[in-house]
Amino acid sequence: MSVKIESKAGLTVCYVDGEIDINSSPGIKKNFDKLIAQKTPKIVVNLAKVTYVDSSGLATLVEILKNMKSYGGRLRLVNLSQKIKSLFEITKLEKLFEIMATEEDAISTFL
Amino acid sequence: MIKSELSGSLKSLRDSVKKISLIVPSGVEQIRKVSSNILDALASYDIDDDGLFDIKLCVEEAVRNAIVHGNKSNRKLSVRTVYWVDGEALNIEIEDEGAGFNYKALRDPTKEENLLRNSGRGVYLIERLMDKVEFNDKGNKVKMTKFLGPKKI
Repeated sequence: MSVKIESKAGLTVCYVDGEIDINSSPGIKKNFDKLIAQKTPKIVVNLAKVTYVDSSGLATLVEILKNMKSYGGRLRLVNLSQKIKSLFEITKLEKLFEIMATEEDAISTFL
Repeated sequence: MIKSELSGSLKSLRDSVKKISLIVPSGVEQIRKVSSNILDALASYDIDDDGLFDIKLCVEEAVRNAIVHGNKSNRKLSVRTVYWVDGEALNIEIEDEGAGFNYKALRDPTKEENLLRNSGRGVYLIERLMDKVEFNDKGNKVKMTKFLGPKKI
């Protein structure tokens, strides 16, 4: 698992690569904790290279979202595989997250 | 039917329900070992990527629950997994040595007031992604069934 953080069009884009599960979740959270400590206002998380998410991974993403909301930050998830998107649908987490098809969609409409 | 044919068909019947048992200590690093063992054993079945994802996820959720919630991560306690294919049905039993839990009292994680919670989605995902899920009365053993396609020819 790796997280690459880039600045794009005044936004922060995080590229997660690998699996988001019970073993990798603490490392992923650490990367986001730094951004949250800086009160990063808008984060786009690109999940194109994420092949697997378990309930710990979902819980970690919920935790990141909650922490960002505490200071008025906003988080968007993009490029989810059909299967991972279905997990957000089954768990109804799609109601909690802003999920968009592509990074370009998320960036161009992130006002 | 001549004798050799009969013994051949009995053998294949016996093979199809051969149970494989795995016993692991209660450490989260064991979770992937269990799911990989099961997925490797299914290589001769024609299961699509979504089906394999579901099996991996449900096994890992159940083993994780057994290790963390059931056995409270006490490495002296084990998690036992038994799996077998009966016809086209993959059966997986996962049992811990803990006190069990009341699975009937689980919160619905999809309710508005529970969406922000950090836990409670594992069993729900298992129930949604497997074809059949049963707990024993004590609540320390789960049996999951997933219907597979036919074996590859």
